[in-house]
This record gives sequence, structure tokens and C-alpha cells, in this order.
Amino acid sequence: MAMMRRASWLVWLRRLTQTFFLALFFYLFLHTVYHPINRTEGPIKLFFHLDPLIALNTWLAWHTLERAMLLSTVTLIVTLLFGRWFCGWVCPFGTIHNFFTSVRGGPAKAKLATGGYDRWQRLKYYLLAGMLTAGLVGVNVVGWLDPISFLFRSLAMAAYPAFNRGVVALFTWLYDVNPGLGAVRATAVTEPVYEFLRGHVLAVQQPHYHGSVLIGALFILTLALNFFRARFWCRYVCPLGALLGVVGQRPLVRLKTTAEACNDCRLCLTDCQGGAGQQGGPEWRPAECFFCCNCISDCPTHAIAIGVGRKGEAKNETLVALDR
Amino acid sequence: MKPWSRWIGKGGPKGKKPAGLGLKRRTVLGAGLVGLSGGLVFRIQPRTSKKSFSPLLVRPPGAVAEQEFLARCVRCGECMKVCPTNAIQPAALEGGLEAGWTPVMKMDIGYCEYECTLCSQVCPTQAIRPVSVEEKQKLKIGLAYFDKNKCLPYAYGRTCIVCEEHCPTPKKAIWFEETDVVNIRGERQRIKQPRVDVDLCIGCGICENKCPIKAEAGVRVFSGGETRNPENQILLSGFGG
Repeated sequence: MAMMRRASWLVWLRRLTQTFFLALFFYLFLHTVYHPINRTEGPIKLFFHLDPLIALNTWLAWHTLERAMLLSTVTLIVTLLFGRWFCGWVCPFGTIHNFFTSVRGGPAKAKLATGGYDRWQRLKYYLLAGMLTAGLVGVNVVGWLDPISFLFRSLAMAAYPAFNRGVVALFTWLYDVNPGLGAVRATAVTEPVYEFLRGHVLAVQQPHYHGSVLIGALFILTLALNFFRARFWCRYVCPLGALLGVVGQRPLVRLKTTAEACNDCRLCLTDCQGGAGQQGGPEWRPAECFFCCNCISDCPTHAIAIGVGRKGEAKNETLVALDR
Repeated sequence: MKPWSRWIGKGGPKGKKPAGLGLKRRTVLGAGLVGLSGGLVFRIQPRTSKKSFSPLLVRPPGAVAEQEFLARCVRCGECMKVCPTNAIQPAALEGGLEAGWTPVMKMDIGYCEYECTLCSQVCPTQAIRPVSVEEKQKLKIGLAYFDKNKCLPYAYGRTCIVCEEHCPTPKKAIWFEETDVVNIRGERQRIKQPRVDVDLCIGCGICENKCPIKAEAGVRVFSGGETRNPENQILLSGFGG
């Protein structure tokens, strides 16, 4: 078994950023409610407005773009210059897939076998091409598969109502049974917790949606596919990832290897999230890389680093020592 | 290489430049063609013709005309999440396959709250455009109609005024006609039978929601007369409508 390696500080920074954006997504999700007055709080639509796929499709289909959608150009410009950082660091659906991929675990050897680039990853680009031409004649296929849309729909119509039902049932049971020892009763603890949840997390009334079973099943399927391939959705399906891959295939910031340090062990593929191929060098595909920086942690000879410029191999003087 | 091939093909000679997307031009064109032709097949469905309208396709207030709505709506569920009465539901096949999971109002589950415009505020693509409360209160999302085979005063000669009591418009859109009916003992009996004022009703559906008959109410809302689709009207203009 490979020696446990300390994760690069870049990996920790990524995890922190991902946690922040996922928490923000959940915060905005929970605030998408009628909160005593007829006004929602906060930038409810932020993630949708950051999504260039929705902007592009709306523009193709109806030739108009509302001003707020211009925010998505920020995502586009960042991707054009630096690559698919959005997928690895910001996208809440990507973070959830990242989480389930990490939960899978398994021996490094098994992960290594499926860690590299797979030609089927091109599927998402072909899907994107089909979706956009359908969008051109006003048929919104993008809406079904856009990751922000997919995640919000799955949460709103399946995961959250089910969660709400479960939590209410649990606390109702605790209240009814009220287990405890002598004078110390469970409700002394559970009731304040329940009160807090009702105020901040749970729905005012249990939501119900037609078709939630299908929506929930598709959601679970996308999560379960992470056990088949790391970040399956992001690698093979995601149309937003495909769009960002097209835009960000020639980034200025790249993963680079120092030729003398790399011993061609390919261990950098062990935890590669995007299936981007061997890091640095000619095999690496920037369009598939989420810049998750796991390879930097995995490299036993510390040969990989992030560098500026479009050449694959790093000269020592242009490298910033980022591996530790 | 053709200019756009640079964006789909290889990055350059093998071993020199990093690998590109590695797409096949033919497959990209093929996928585009499938999307285009598939899209066109959807576009010839009767529902897109402005001649055929589903009575069940009652959209939230502020929803734009159907064709534009389908082009804009990304089925994200924001409006369904925010709706305080849970009335906004993902469509199954009411509007055809291409309208799958777009928002429709199901008045048996909820109704359109008279003072609320939240769905129009949260829609990220303006498939539901922002409307003020004043504007929303005049927007017709549909029209209520009575099922005389079910509504209590019509079908069973029993007094019921629940729908009229809940009607939120300043001047009630439901009014009563006092009629003599014959009851089960053969006696003549005066009873109030509810009617819909086609001008005042905005289709909010609270009548359907509060109707004592729960399994398909005695008064229901359909999409006829909705403001957003000028072709789906009930009254011909110039005929006293």
C-alpha cells in the first residue's frame, strides 16, 4: 500500500472553497421561501447567474439575455484564462460528486485503473452539441441536464422533502416516547434542537411534489455512478463542464512536471477527479482537468506543480513551489 | 485544419503540444444534427401551434407565452421551492414531453396566493417575468368553471358557499343565482347556485383548493382565458367580452 501522503495545501484550500460554495448554495436554497413577507432574502439566483450554459442557451433560444446573466461571463473569462476551476472549486453539484467519490475510497491500484482519460469522456461534448442545436430551435434540453438546475430540482423536489419528512418523524417519535433516566428526559435536549431546526432548516409545511420519485431516483443514480467512476457525472455527462472544457482547453495556468523529477509512475492518476491523463507533459488534457490538485499530493517525487505559461514542462525557475 | 477544428480536435502534433478535446468533427456535426432535427420534431407538436392548448397547463402568474416559456424555463424548481402553498408542481406530460418538469399549478395541492409574487422573483431565466403584486392581481392565469355534476348546490341541492367566501378579488368573481330546485322529498326549495364572472376571475384556484369535494373538486381551474397566451381566450373581443 502506498504511503499516506500529506495533502498539498492547495488541496486544503480547494476543500475550503468547495465547502464555502456548497454551504452558500444550501443557504440560498433554504432561503428560497416565503419568509413572512413577499420578498426573498439574499442573492437567491446567484449560481444560476454564474452559469454560462443557461445564459448561452437562453440567448440561442430567444435571442435575449437579462442583465444579471452577464455575471456568467465572469465564469467564462476565468475559464478561458485559467481552465475548469469552476468544476473543481465552485460547482456545488461537483462538490457533492467529489464527496461521494471520496467516500468510495478503495485501494490505490483499483482507483488507478480507472483514473486516467477515457475516450467516452467525449460524450459530454457531443451531448452539448446536440443540446445547443435543440436550444437553437427553442427546445430546452439544457434545463434537464444543467448541473445547477439538476441539483436544485433534485434537492427541492426529492431530497429536501424526504429529509423534512424524516426529521419531523424522528423528533415526533422522540417527543412521544420521551426516553430518559429518571427526571432526565430526552426532550430536554431534543426539543430545543427541533425548535432550532424548525426555525432554520425545516419547511414550514411538508412539501409534496408530483414525480418526485423519478427526480429522486435520477439524483441517486448520478450519485451512485461515482462508485463506478470518480465524478462520473462531471467526466461523462455534464453539459456545463463540456462548455467550460471547450472554453478552457488552452489555459494560461497549467499543471507542470519537472522532467528530471518525474519517474513516470503514473500515481498522479490515483485520485485524479477529471480523468485528465498523466499530469504535465503531452498526455495531460486541460479540458478534463478540474485543478483539484490531488495529483500534487499523490506524486511521490513532488514533480508536479502549478505553473504559468502554455508549455507543458516546467523549467525550475518558472515554478512556484506549491507542492507543500 | 479548419479554424474551428482547432477547438474540437487535437492540440497539435503528438508529443509536442498538450492533447486537445480529441473530438471527431463528423460526430460533432452528427450530434448537432440530431439535436436540431429532434428539436424541430418537438417544434411541430400541436401544442406549439398556438391552436392547441392544454386545459391543464395553468402556469404561474407572470409566465410568458408558451413558446417563449419553453425556450426559457430550465426546470430548476426555484418557483416550486418558493411557492408558499406548494401549488406549483413539475409537469408530467400535460404540456407534451418537452414541457416535462416545467411548472404547472395544481390547485388541489395549493392555490395562487393573492398577495404573493415570489415565483416571479426567483425565476433565474425570466420564464416567469417579474411582476408587481398590483399587476399580478389582474393577471389571469386561468379560469374557474363549475362541474354541475359534482358541485353540491347543483348536483345534490345542498347549500354550499365555500368557494365564494374564499374568492380573493375585490369584487367577488363568484356570484350566486337563486334558483328553485326540487329536493329528495319532492318539495320546491330555494338554493344559491354559484356562477363564475368571466371578467373578474383570475384563475387563482383557491375555490378549487377549498372546495369540500377533495377528489377532483366541484369547481376547477383550466388554462382558458390566460393573459399570457392571446390565442387561448374565451371571449371574442368586440362581442361584449
